[in-house]
Amino acid sequence: MVAIRWRPVSAAEPLQARPEGGRRHVGGRLLSVCLLLAAALAGPARAHEAHHASPAAAAAPGYLALPYAPPQPGTYALPPIRAAADGSFTDDGGQSRSLHALYADRITVLSFIYTHCDDANGCPLASFVLSQAAADIAKDPALAATVRFVSLSFDPARDTPAALARHAKPFRKPGVDWIFGTATDTDALDALLGAYGQDVERDGAGGSFSHVLRVYLIDGQARIRNEYTTSFLHASMLAADIRTLAMAAAPAAVPVAAGTPGAVPGPGDDKTGYDEATYVTRSRALTARAAAPAALRLALEQPPPGLPRNALNGPLPSAAQIALGRRLFFDRRLSHNGTVACASCHVPDQGFTNNELMTPIGIEGRTVKRNAPSLFNVGLLPTLFHDARESRLEQQVWAPLLAANEMGNPSIGYVLDKIAALPEYIPLFAAAFPAAPTPTMETLGIALAAYERALLSGDSAFDRWREGRDDGAMSAAAQRGFSLFTGKAGCSGCHLVGDTEAMFTDHELHNTGIGFQRSMATPKPLEVTVAPGARLRVEPSTIAASSETPPNDLGRYEVTLDPADRWRYRTPGLRNVALTAPYMHDGSLPTLDAVIAHYNGGGHPNEGQDPRVRPLQLGASERADLRAFLESLTGSNVATLVRDAYAAPIGDHRND
Amino acid sequence: MSHQTSSQRSALFAIAIGLAITPLSQADETCNSPYMKRLTTQEDFMYIWTLGVSGVGDEQDKLVTVDTNPASKSYGKVIHSLSVGGRNEAHHSGYSDDRRTLWAGGLDTSNIFVFDVASDPAKPTLKTTITDFVAKTGGIVGPHSFYALPGRMLITGLSNNQDHGGRTGMAEYTNDGEYITTHWMPTDDNLQGATKTGQFADGYGYDIRALPRLNVMVSSSFTGWNNYMMDLGKMMADGEAMKRFGNTVTLWDLHTRKPLKVFDVPGAPLEVRCAWGETHDYCFTTTALTSKIWLIHRDGNGEWQAKEVADIGDPAKIPLPVDISIAADDSRLWVNTWNDGMTRLYDITDPHAPKEIYSKHIGEQVNMVSQSWDGKRVYFTSSLLGNWDKKQGPAGDLQYFKAYHWDGKELKEAFAVDFVAEKLGLAHQMTLNARSMYAGRQSPVPPQAGAAGGGDTLAASLGR
Repeated sequence: MVAIRWRPVSAAEPLQARPEGGRRHVGGRLLSVCLLLAAALAGPARAHEAHHASPAAAAAPGYLALPYAPPQPGTYALPPIRAAADGSFTDDGGQSRSLHALYADRITVLSFIYTHCDDANGCPLASFVLSQAAADIAKDPALAATVRFVSLSFDPARDTPAALARHAKPFRKPGVDWIFGTATDTDALDALLGAYGQDVERDGAGGSFSHVLRVYLIDGQARIRNEYTTSFLHASMLAADIRTLAMAAAPAAVPVAAGTPGAVPGPGDDKTGYDEATYVTRSRALTARAAAPAALRLALEQPPPGLPRNALNGPLPSAAQIALGRRLFFDRRLSHNGTVACASCHVPDQGFTNNELMTPIGIEGRTVKRNAPSLFNVGLLPTLFHDARESRLEQQVWAPLLAANEMGNPSIGYVLDKIAALPEYIPLFAAAFPAAPTPTMETLGIALAAYERALLSGDSAFDRWREGRDDGAMSAAAQRGFSLFTGKAGCSGCHLVGDTEAMFTDHELHNTGIGFQRSMATPKPLEVTVAPGARLRVEPSTIAASSETPPNDLGRYEVTLDPADRWRYRTPGLRNVALTAPYMHDGSLPTLDAVIAHYNGGGHPNEGQDPRVRPLQLGASERADLRAFLESLTGSNVATLVRDAYAAPIGDHRND
Repeated sequence: MSHQTSSQRSALFAIAIGLAITPLSQADETCNSPYMKRLTTQEDFMYIWTLGVSGVGDEQDKLVTVDTNPASKSYGKVIHSLSVGGRNEAHHSGYSDDRRTLWAGGLDTSNIFVFDVASDPAKPTLKTTITDFVAKTGGIVGPHSFYALPGRMLITGLSNNQDHGGRTGMAEYTNDGEYITTHWMPTDDNLQGATKTGQFADGYGYDIRALPRLNVMVSSSFTGWNNYMMDLGKMMADGEAMKRFGNTVTLWDLHTRKPLKVFDVPGAPLEVRCAWGETHDYCFTTTALTSKIWLIHRDGNGEWQAKEVADIGDPAKIPLPVDISIAADDSRLWVNTWNDGMTRLYDITDPHAPKEIYSKHIGEQVNMVSQSWDGKRVYFTSSLLGNWDKKQGPAGDLQYFKAYHWDGKELKEAFAVDFVAEKLGLAHQMTLNARSMYAGRQSPVPPQAGAAGGGDTLAASLGR
């Protein structure tokens, strides 16, 4: 006997059989012998014997008992892969057939074979597995009546209808609908093979073919629902897939938590406590965005309690302008390479800033040196950016669009032309700017600013308490904290609190020591978190080897070039401050406690430091009270604004 | 044939089983999907998916082809380079199951470039570019691993378009490039039926491998767009960013694509490599930040477990293990550590107790390692991520592709290509290929008369 073993294929050994996924041709006609053998292996028991008969060998899994439990039919999805092509062929009775006619309202298992095939893990495997699955399905006559097996030969010269009829005999069992056939001519055959990805090579020497075995499961709407190759083809799995398709009811979907209405949606990837070994994840599914559009313009007409009246630093936008601006805000296509939207750094469920980064990054990962400011109440600010270099939102929006390290667009015209060419924006611009519907530098600015202006948030526990509407709204600790805020701690010296309204900012710029420290201090070794509760010390030199030169930051000086303005930054408002970590212009303080500790310690004394930043002598309970106060500044409509944001589609690059 | 004797029948049975003899077990070549057409002889080419870098050559991503056949006149030389436009953060690539196309992803733009490597394996051409991956998948950003399943491609993601963090999913595409479906990674609020075995179910993703024999897949977890795109030094100094690394390995049902178990594997488990042996019910992964080898294995009770089995270098120094490569016989595991530029070879004969048996300094930094199926040739590239790579180093040791011979005792350099001097960019993922993979292909035609049953000694031996 000639020893026949599978061996790895090489250029020097073109006729050796190949492993899984490879082409196989062993030459000659052993195949038909194997086919008979395969047909003779009646059921899993025998297949199992075969397994034991040759412990060192591994036949294709389809010949063996499944070594694991098959899936429960109906518990999983078989999403449509693509349309199954039509084609005509002649069946083993000589009758002309169309595939689509056969597919209609049936579940079809389609294989490509040729009867002279001599690779046990090729066509014979397919026929063997199909016959086993057919026998299983036949036990349920009602099911069997909806299932059909079709085997098409790509060897019409030898596989004539008569030859196929002889070949078909052992497979034709009661209750099994199995059609064998072959294409009528070479063109029809090529079309069929091409349509089903059957990459067939003819072995010139032996009259056999080399092909990658593929079997298809096709539904009643002529859609391919699964595709099997040698190591993936097994009767138990095939039968489970057939039953899954047959089950009328859609697979029971695992319910997705939809988010509790009313609750403030926090960050989807909450890392609170990550520094401790006891940290547990509280991750939320990306699909769990409870979207609900809100009438944002109402807040502009009737600002929430606690906010200044008529302080809108610009015109009152229309609802159509707000809607357009919201759409633009979430559109990643507004950046040069389509990767970054406004919302990438001003993330709605992260306080319209980014809780996951000290300072954001722009396109291609470029470094942005200052923390992304929260956009709550941004429309009420008389100056913008940490260095107050801009005066109006309508103008400000162009800075990130054009900054090389943010959205990186090459020009104003480039942005406008790109948006004008997106069909979905045409009606939106027409509705927002009926007199001038073609996007311009001005209208784009108005639209984006319109949405941002609508992000008003007030009516916090503090406001309800202070107005006397609800004496219990703010805890005793927070009330004590408020006294410290306006008293011993001196916070309200810069974070102003009016008699009837409060923005918690003087809109001025100050040196708090943070900027000075960052520019002037010698880098120290870092404690780097490498896993929950696990930290390692890293030397500055290690970090420097893989780093760009960190950008310096001189604050307001960069605008005025006045040495007195070195390291001065704009006082941020404190509404929703509990949601907008990390803090300071560089994001260097991760928590409110760290911020309070910074001020309690007197900052980092330097020539320009504001004299109000001085050691405060606050004890632990005072610091806790102060934090409780800051945590009472969260607006009642944050959830509304976040859910409204979720309702906006995220614009992503498309082919159209 | 219809007149066989029973002894003939027995002989046939034996041959039939003989025909079916193994290599269903299957190696970079050793990291490829077992569903894939495999190269087990001398490779002719290495395709190197290369990041464009500002100031070098044409500054854009490209697929570089290097001649790796010692018998060739152009051995060790770049013989082809195909620029694709833009910097996409070129990262990993993988063949379709029929090895006719090579899919290469961009972690930044989420563009996927599908190259035709079959028509002329020496000169790949760009067949199509998938530009709507994010929109089609429902928001997956950063296509990472391209893992061949029958007739389709399973593509793992690293991030999402909502917050550019680490929560993500996987998508399936047809070999023709059509989107099929999305599978989200299990999260605490939607474990999708999986068991959270420990403290973490972060929903992060990275790599995936399958053990078809056991109907399972194993996926790992890295970090989102914010971090993998960021300057490395900036990231390490950012305490918030450092909290956004994956700490999980997920076990999946291969057939139903449903998650079964979520394991705690802290410190960013990256590449997953599964054993090939028929009785080797395990996969390896290594954690980038905590520098450990982990074993994902099926225990004596048939239960899947995750277990830390070895340190890599001195974890306190953060050597940063990156790519790994398993030998085809499951006896050895190459482990690269990016920070110190070392490759380390582990004896994994006992998968529960890997032992380092060899190490060598490859360059200023080293990321990917690929070996030939027989393990005699081992290849290395330098680049990890565009903004993480080192900026300074000896000429030729910063961004390179290096080829070595492994004789069982030591690595001997065969040749090296300096990707900066050659004006190419940052060398990342390698895939091996050979002309022999496509030999004999022709249009399907009916056989010539008389060819049927054409004389083979096997048929003769059967006494027909």
